[in-house]
Amino acid sequence: MTTKFDPRAAKPISDWEHHSKLLCCRVDPTGTYVVAGAIDYTIQRWEIATGKKTSLAAHDNWVRTLGFSPDGNTLYSGAYDGRWIAWDITSETPQPIRVIQAHAGWVRGLAVSYDGKQIATCGNDKRVKAWSANDGQLLREMVGHSNIPYCLQFVPNNYDLVSGDIVGNIHQWRGEDGTLVRSFTASEIFFHIGDIAPFGGIIHLSFSPDGKKLTACGLHKCSNAPAGNRRAVALSMDWTTGEKRPKQECLKKDIDATMWRVAYHPDGTMIGNVAKDIGFWNPDAEDAFHLVETPSDIFDLDLHPNQIDLYTAHFDGHVRCHRLGSSA
Amino acid sequence: MAKMTMNRYKPCGTIDHGIGRRQFMGEFLMGMGAIAGTSLFSHPIGASEVTQRGKSVVVVYLNGGISQFESWDPKTDLETGGPFKSIPTSVPGIHISELLPYTAQQMHHMALIRSISTDLDDHGLANNIVRSGRTTRSATEYPELGAVVSKGLERADFPLPGHITTMVGGSGGRANNAAYLGPQYASVAIGAEKGGIVNTQLPDGMTVTADSRRHDWRRFVNGRHRSKVQSAEMDAYTQCYEQALRLMEKRELFDITREAESVQEAYGKTEFGKQLLLARRLVEAEVPFIEIQHGGWDFHHNNFEFHLHYVADFDRPFAHFIGDLHQRGLLERTLVIVMTEFGRTPKINAGYGRDHYPKAWSIALAGCGIQHGAVIGKTDPKGIEVTDRKVDHRHLFHTYLRAVGIDSSGEFDIAGRRFPIADPAFGPIKELLA
Repeated sequence: MTTKFDPRAAKPISDWEHHSKLLCCRVDPTGTYVVAGAIDYTIQRWEIATGKKTSLAAHDNWVRTLGFSPDGNTLYSGAYDGRWIAWDITSETPQPIRVIQAHAGWVRGLAVSYDGKQIATCGNDKRVKAWSANDGQLLREMVGHSNIPYCLQFVPNNYDLVSGDIVGNIHQWRGEDGTLVRSFTASEIFFHIGDIAPFGGIIHLSFSPDGKKLTACGLHKCSNAPAGNRRAVALSMDWTTGEKRPKQECLKKDIDATMWRVAYHPDGTMIGNVAKDIGFWNPDAEDAFHLVETPSDIFDLDLHPNQIDLYTAHFDGHVRCHRLGSSA
Repeated sequence: MAKMTMNRYKPCGTIDHGIGRRQFMGEFLMGMGAIAGTSLFSHPIGASEVTQRGKSVVVVYLNGGISQFESWDPKTDLETGGPFKSIPTSVPGIHISELLPYTAQQMHHMALIRSISTDLDDHGLANNIVRSGRTTRSATEYPELGAVVSKGLERADFPLPGHITTMVGGSGGRANNAAYLGPQYASVAIGAEKGGIVNTQLPDGMTVTADSRRHDWRRFVNGRHRSKVQSAEMDAYTQCYEQALRLMEKRELFDITREAESVQEAYGKTEFGKQLLLARRLVEAEVPFIEIQHGGWDFHHNNFEFHLHYVADFDRPFAHFIGDLHQRGLLERTLVIVMTEFGRTPKINAGYGRDHYPKAWSIALAGCGIQHGAVIGKTDPKGIEVTDRKVDHRHLFHTYLRAVGIDSSGEFDIAGRRFPIADPAFGPIKELLA
């Protein structure tokens, strides 16, 4: 029996709880585990088949970003303690393999290259750094963001990096030497309050499955930043030309939200969070074609390698899974 | 007597912005209605001229409610403490948020109060009680701290307003915050920009001699009229004119670009840095009360990200201000209060914000009249409750006044009616006073 991807048929299939708020989650490439980073400085690992929970403790601050090696054997975590840690995630009680003091201030984003040989991080020191996954050596350091970079990704099948910052700039850095290749601006999703604090910017970056589109997500329509009056949004750019596509937002529900993560299904459907809802957009469609409501605000999401099960990390400490389809 | 955690240190014994003269006069006169029928010759009882001479109070008002967790009372609790760590300060044993590395190095000039508990979580109402030192439940309006200090420290020969709010990017005016003391003690908003105060130079074609003749004529006519009719409004009107003239003569005081470039750089060319630099110039000029606003701390959403930027904007200029006052010998006659209207919730909400929390919060003080390196009070490990030496806005009000030598147990005599300077049911935090 097969399951056809159909978000309209979404139903919850698992719900696992941790006692602390969760900021991020990832499913390993083999589909064995889902892991989540928490504000109690831990990473929680759930075995998907059994729901067995294991706690990983080595960070000294909020765990903000996670990534897996392509073989699923190593988990990489980045935290507000300024460090990234490599974990032997398949062992019974995972331990740190490597602890790297990466940035002055928080690590905001972490990415793993297509072949697993490089790790990239960005942090409050406004630096983007690439590291050897093998030994943790710093390979290159990229300076050029005028303010804090929130997120980064490797360009598909490449060591080039794209990083997006808190003031709406996106930079592409050459894999060979770390030089700046080009820059995009997404001022549409950036605001400034009182000449003091930026608000919004590039919260997350994702490439479309065909690699032709780079999608930045975050917030727009900000009317009162300290009160959190804003709307979730995704803004895609043609990767070759930089031409911007229409903004994608949630017109079905008028709610304050930030889109913390966009993931793509292989068929091109964009999946993003809108407060407590999971939203689904057809390519370049302005409004979501479907929303799935959950009990708590979502701060990250990731697709299982089966491309049917979607895991979400929630403010209430739960990791939830929805099966996005019906049996055929 | 509550226990005080303390490490004792020896205390100190363009013209585009600013106030327009016409606006100054206009708003002053608008405020006159409030004092009709009262005498302007109220006076504080018990004030000591010797201890007050040249004293100043500078309030740095963090409008909206700074988080005590991300400033003066950091916690390590995993659910309430937030992501920022604490750092040591120049006073052994005192730790504050890592967001304040420069201020931490000035802690030996400062004191912290970590046990403030009030009961109003509305901005306007909370703002009113922390400024007035009263919980207003009657028809009586009470003067704010600036008006009381201005009145308490006033000198007959002083050429400037005694109660100044600095501002950047706008013209000013008199606020309505002096209640029964009368509008001459209300705050005047004056900007910190090149050229000092806007609209204070004589118009083209008007000579100094001609201008002087105009004022002589005004004084003559006023005097003749006053010999027949006396009224508070008329006295205030006259005083307002004379003060405006003195302000015109002192316009350069408000021009911070007269400071060396290195000094301006050290304060930082942010709005806050410019205001602090103006405040230092006003302290040098012995202005009794100066308030600086640093607004927008009401972070119901994105609290940690915003504090990262806002506290950084505050920290370096503020620390430099304290250090500069000290180096110039001004801190020993200046009380600096970092004031806000309430704290923020221990609970982190779903937008990673903190909401209003008057139950347990903190402020910082620096300068004269206080025990340097003192920490008053304590909250529990989660920051939910005050566990030691609970105080509120009424204790604080008494303490501020005592620190600059004003007897807060005294009274104002307003046309024969006596008004306690501060809430008589309360007193200062004695262990904090030098």
